[in-house]
Amino acid sequence: MLKVQEIRELIKLIDESSIDEFDYESNGTKVSMKKQTGEVIQERTVVSEPVVRQETAAPAASPAPAQSQEQVKEEPEPAQPKEQNAGDFDHEIVSPMVGTFYSSPEPESDAFVKKGDKVDKDTVVCIVEAMKLFNEIEADVSGEIVEILVEDGELVEYGQPLFRVKA
Amino acid sequence: MNTTRNQLIELLKRNNQSFISGQELSENLGISRTAVWKHMKELEKEGYQVQAIPRKGYRISGQPDKLSASSVKWGLRTTWAGKQLFHYPVVESTQAIGHQLAQKGSEEGTVILADEQTAGKGRMGRKWHSAKTEGIWMSMILRPPILPYKAPQITLLTAVALAETIESLTKSKPAIKWPNDIFFQDRKAAGILTEMQAEQDEIQYIVLGIGMNVNQSITDLPEDIQKTATSLKHETGTDWDLAPIIQQILAAFEMHYENYLHHGFKAVKEKWEHYGYKIGDQVSVSANKQKYKAEIIGLAEDGALKVRKPDGCEENLYSAEIHW
Repeated sequence: MLKVQEIRELIKLIDESSIDEFDYESNGTKVSMKKQTGEVIQERTVVSEPVVRQETAAPAASPAPAQSQEQVKEEPEPAQPKEQNAGDFDHEIVSPMVGTFYSSPEPESDAFVKKGDKVDKDTVVCIVEAMKLFNEIEADVSGEIVEILVEDGELVEYGQPLFRVKA
Repeated sequence: MNTTRNQLIELLKRNNQSFISGQELSENLGISRTAVWKHMKELEKEGYQVQAIPRKGYRISGQPDKLSASSVKWGLRTTWAGKQLFHYPVVESTQAIGHQLAQKGSEEGTVILADEQTAGKGRMGRKWHSAKTEGIWMSMILRPPILPYKAPQITLLTAVALAETIESLTKSKPAIKWPNDIFFQDRKAAGILTEMQAEQDEIQYIVLGIGMNVNQSITDLPEDIQKTATSLKHETGTDWDLAPIIQQILAAFEMHYENYLHHGFKAVKEKWEHYGYKIGDQVSVSANKQKYKAEIIGLAEDGALKVRKPDGCEENLYSAEIHW
């Protein structure tokens, strides 16, 4: 179970990051956080809490027969205007899967894109590889690459932002 | 083909490591040496590579390219895999053609076969040696209705289809080295490379590439891989017809793929682990720029490689260099 202090720490980190949604699950404890218009809303779900039972039948596949939900709303950090980054880009290209980020088609060749490059919807910006499946990621938007957020060879998570694009 | 020609081919095949003299052939077949010479010229026209050396005799150093779209389609027992099939004598890479066809809208199951690849693709630009007519070099277009992050499971599924096919042909059990190399002992016989074009939540297409060493002798392979590669011929001591192997791979693949789409990854995981290479062994892992020792446990529910670190922590690897 996470300590309050740890949750506080997480909220702070997420608040400062570009992550919009965060899920964490361990030993029946689930923490979900979701940003809404610059705030951090945190939901903590404790699975199989013996005292409070909810009537709604859980789906058969669910490991927990009954769930209780309590929502802890933390005060958002003193409303920092979230525009500190927002002006610099319009779109983030995120990874569709867990894997290794490759900035070039082959180790020796040039990167697909560099900071400052103009991209189209169909421009391949990188490869993410998992289990020898090479996923060529297309920009999906047109604009200019203003920031590359990961390094060649780095492990990336599902949904992790890889590039920032300014339209 | 007349019977003299067949007998001649049989004689040459039996002697294919050494030369057989024109005199010997002429005596065995009961024809003149000039007739032997004429037959040799005919064989060359059919695509055999004939070595003729004065005072030594003849030797066949290469078989005709028998693989063709029709030889594979004839007897293919699939519903969709390989129903659209393109065969080329020489291409740079079947993967590249796969991409082109897929972008033009080619349907799922379209197969591209080549006798020879001049720039066969391996992982991260590593070359895959794919010499003429000695192996299976093919790519298939897939359009699975699954989320992109699940697509690596298809490469594990393909490894299972390959391992099963190879086991049924050779009667000996190969191993699958995570994620999808097919091994006999410590030598690689086949590999899979998959490339995908996907959006965040939808796969446009996958080009699944399969390379299998079939009729190479170890000495046919480039020197740098002679200790790490093998072929079906090396494992069994016989030459193999490529078309029936391709048909069997396609049938096995189609069956596992359909089953996967309907019932999920569980059955694939179990079959994969049945063939899993070095399960229970210690290996060294390089992942995310770190290097550590770990024990291979098996596959996670999603196909990641499950390992146990010396401190007892389990980790799921999605992308890692394993030093086997």
